[in-house]
Amino acid sequence: MAKRNSKFSVSVWEWIRVQGASPKQRIRFLIWATILVVAVAFAYFVLTAPGFLTLNNAINMSQRSAPDIILAVAQTMVILTGGIDLSVGAVAAFSGSLAAVAFCYWNIPIWPAILLSLLAGAALGAVSGLIITKGGVPDFIATLGTMTTIRGLALILTGGLPVPSHVTAVTLKAYLPPEIIWLGNGFILGIPSSILISLIFVGIGWLILTRTMFGRSIFAVGGNKTAAAISGINVQRTKTLTYVLSGLLAALAGVILTGRMNSANALMADGAELQSIASVVIGGTNLFGGEGGVIGSFFGAIIMAILRNVLNLQNVHDFAQKVFMGLMIIGVVLFDQLRRRYGR
Amino acid sequence: MRTPLLQVEAIDKSYPGVHALDRVDFDLYEGEVHAIVGENGAGKSTLLKILSGATPKDGGNIFIRGHKVNIYSPQHARQLGIGMVFQELSLIPGLSVAENVFLGRWPRRKPFGTVDWPQLFARAKDILGNLGVDIDPKEHVSNLGMAERQLIEIAKIFSLENAQILLFDEPTSSLSDAERERLFDIIRAVKKKGIGIVYVSHRLAEVYQISDRVSVFRDGKKIGTLSVDQADEDTVIRMMVGRELKEKFPKIKIQQGKEILRIRDMTVNGRLYHLNLSLHQGEILGVFGLVGAGRTEFARALFGIDRIDSGEIFVDGAKVNISCPADAIKSGLGFLTENRQDGLLMQLAIPLNITLPNLRRFSQFGFLQINAEREAAKKYVKELNIDTPKLDQRVGLLSGGTQQKVALAKWLCSQAKILILDEPTRGIDVGAKVEVYRLINELAKQGAGVIMLSSELPEVLALADRILVMSGGSFVAEYEHGQATQEDLLKSAIVKLKKLN
Repeated sequence: MAKRNSKFSVSVWEWIRVQGASPKQRIRFLIWATILVVAVAFAYFVLTAPGFLTLNNAINMSQRSAPDIILAVAQTMVILTGGIDLSVGAVAAFSGSLAAVAFCYWNIPIWPAILLSLLAGAALGAVSGLIITKGGVPDFIATLGTMTTIRGLALILTGGLPVPSHVTAVTLKAYLPPEIIWLGNGFILGIPSSILISLIFVGIGWLILTRTMFGRSIFAVGGNKTAAAISGINVQRTKTLTYVLSGLLAALAGVILTGRMNSANALMADGAELQSIASVVIGGTNLFGGEGGVIGSFFGAIIMAILRNVLNLQNVHDFAQKVFMGLMIIGVVLFDQLRRRYGR
Repeated sequence: MRTPLLQVEAIDKSYPGVHALDRVDFDLYEGEVHAIVGENGAGKSTLLKILSGATPKDGGNIFIRGHKVNIYSPQHARQLGIGMVFQELSLIPGLSVAENVFLGRWPRRKPFGTVDWPQLFARAKDILGNLGVDIDPKEHVSNLGMAERQLIEIAKIFSLENAQILLFDEPTSSLSDAERERLFDIIRAVKKKGIGIVYVSHRLAEVYQISDRVSVFRDGKKIGTLSVDQADEDTVIRMMVGRELKEKFPKIKIQQGKEILRIRDMTVNGRLYHLNLSLHQGEILGVFGLVGAGRTEFARALFGIDRIDSGEIFVDGAKVNISCPADAIKSGLGFLTENRQDGLLMQLAIPLNITLPNLRRFSQFGFLQINAEREAAKKYVKELNIDTPKLDQRVGLLSGGTQQKVALAKWLCSQAKILILDEPTRGIDVGAKVEVYRLINELAKQGAGVIMLSSELPEVLALADRILVMSGGSFVAEYEHGQATQEDLLKSAIVKLKKLN
């Protein structure tokens, strides 16, 4: 308390002291004060960003965030069991590519092609899950491995080219059909269809977690594996199923992403796994499992989307954006730790 | 009057929902063992945590030799000469005894600050010698038993130059009788050096053996301090629970029904050998055994946690195949674990814990009936007298005895008719113990069969209709209620052990 620069902070500090606050209360006050300051700064940058408060921007932003929200729902399930799924971005890229390749090259009609890609996503999730539960490989390492493998498979599948691409366009179907584009870019009653789909899946995720036996098992496994097992819950099956679900949702996100971009490629959804983990953590889910939910993750994903959008509108350089995002993730988790330690 | 070595004045500490310490005064003189007894949640451990710097106090003053101090951290407490003897947690098994004793403060050699090994071992040997402990300082901690590890914890404190106050929290809970005697010898020796000792324990018998004064805590308050010769058992227990305990172990005679469980030749290779037993409705079957006799292994195998290599299990006369806990639950078994951490989800609310083994009952087409679940939980909270500020309280915030009741409620809710209770009263206070005993009797009266695994002789003798003695993974003796004395049981348990060796 030796050095205080401005008169204002001195008087605030005096005020806290005069109020006879305990050290814990002071830290709690500081935490809330910081949250307030950050929120005000955030609001300032948001509201002064050129073109932020336009309908166009809102539509653009919600279309961009839709796949991220679905990935955040997937990641929430996995993290709640105490696991982590680093492969969601790769699965999204692979599944989106698979749908496009199946339609453009293999002449499979679009809906069966999408179904195929969703099943492939679920299957890839099952592989990760089984490596973890049956093989005893730690979640982090297992999905780190499947992440790289699946990216490689996606590259092989697409030959490293966008699908459809100018090279293949001459001989094969040159464009994706309107159905898949509608998933990514369409509207229902003036609202982007992709954001509606993602909201539906937030709702489904909430239902699963709070109102089903499977959801309860997820919390039990993440809270205490031993206690869950002794209470008759099949820990391995629960974990494997969350990875299957995560793969399925990641595939759906990949299909929507493909529709939005009007093209698929093996490298899309780059870094999506970290985005999704950040959304989950910002949303208040415990990284060690057992506590949290999808509603928080939804808002986490929205905050991330707004931030990205505002950085773009404020003309922050792409490279600097990465630095900013990384620091923000660390800052949020750090803050969360402080809050857990002193907040209550 | 002498100045106390340690004086605590009106110390106060609150956790969410609990006033853990309510303006407590406490003092400790040189060369004294001052025991603290009290129910779980009475505030004993909280006081030790504050004194050892692990938790900050909310209010009050602490004086050491008349000087007011604030204890900021465990390091700071050690600088003040206050050492906490942890049960087992603070040693690094991969390092030697000497390295552990001087952990983080190894003697250095100039000019590069490398460790001065000869001096390290010599000084450790000195400290151990002073304590009368005969352990090689070069031995790896991983090769030592529980008791020896605890002695090293003590040695660690004596490696401080100014050690003057020792804090013990339930030091004997993982020790055998012989090891306990050895620990007491050391405590007596340390006392003579003028060091003050705060000794927290559940076991009254120990307190009589070792302490000079006894303070009784209840609900975060100090009820009183007695010199040990004034503190007869009934007085202390009355102070602890605030009322006279007429019957410590109520035994109700219950009419037994038909056989509900039969185990034939159960074997787990290397651990359990040809176990046979039968259990009837309304029967409380005690299984007594010393540490390592295979009690918990037996429970785990029966409940499907560990695989059975051979043998058969019959429930209600029909053969059942139990290969996982879900099978066991389906067959009507319930398992109260020795360690509450293994049985409860501490982060989740009470209702979620109670209904966990039997979620199917509260769901339709996989969807949970939240209201039915809460109603059921409410019912059990009332029936078992579960002491909680609100229904949705996280189980982790409840006291030990209350947690144990939630764990029992789980198996009542799953409608288990065969209950395996592993050390059902471990780590809970006298008052809660009696309530747990009453619940066990109540369960038996309602027609459940109870297998009570316990290492507490009086508990087994008083409660069980029949007692099986376990040793070296086999049942070695069987007694009817009232047939055996403590000596009989112990002899049966030990004799077989010797034979095996």
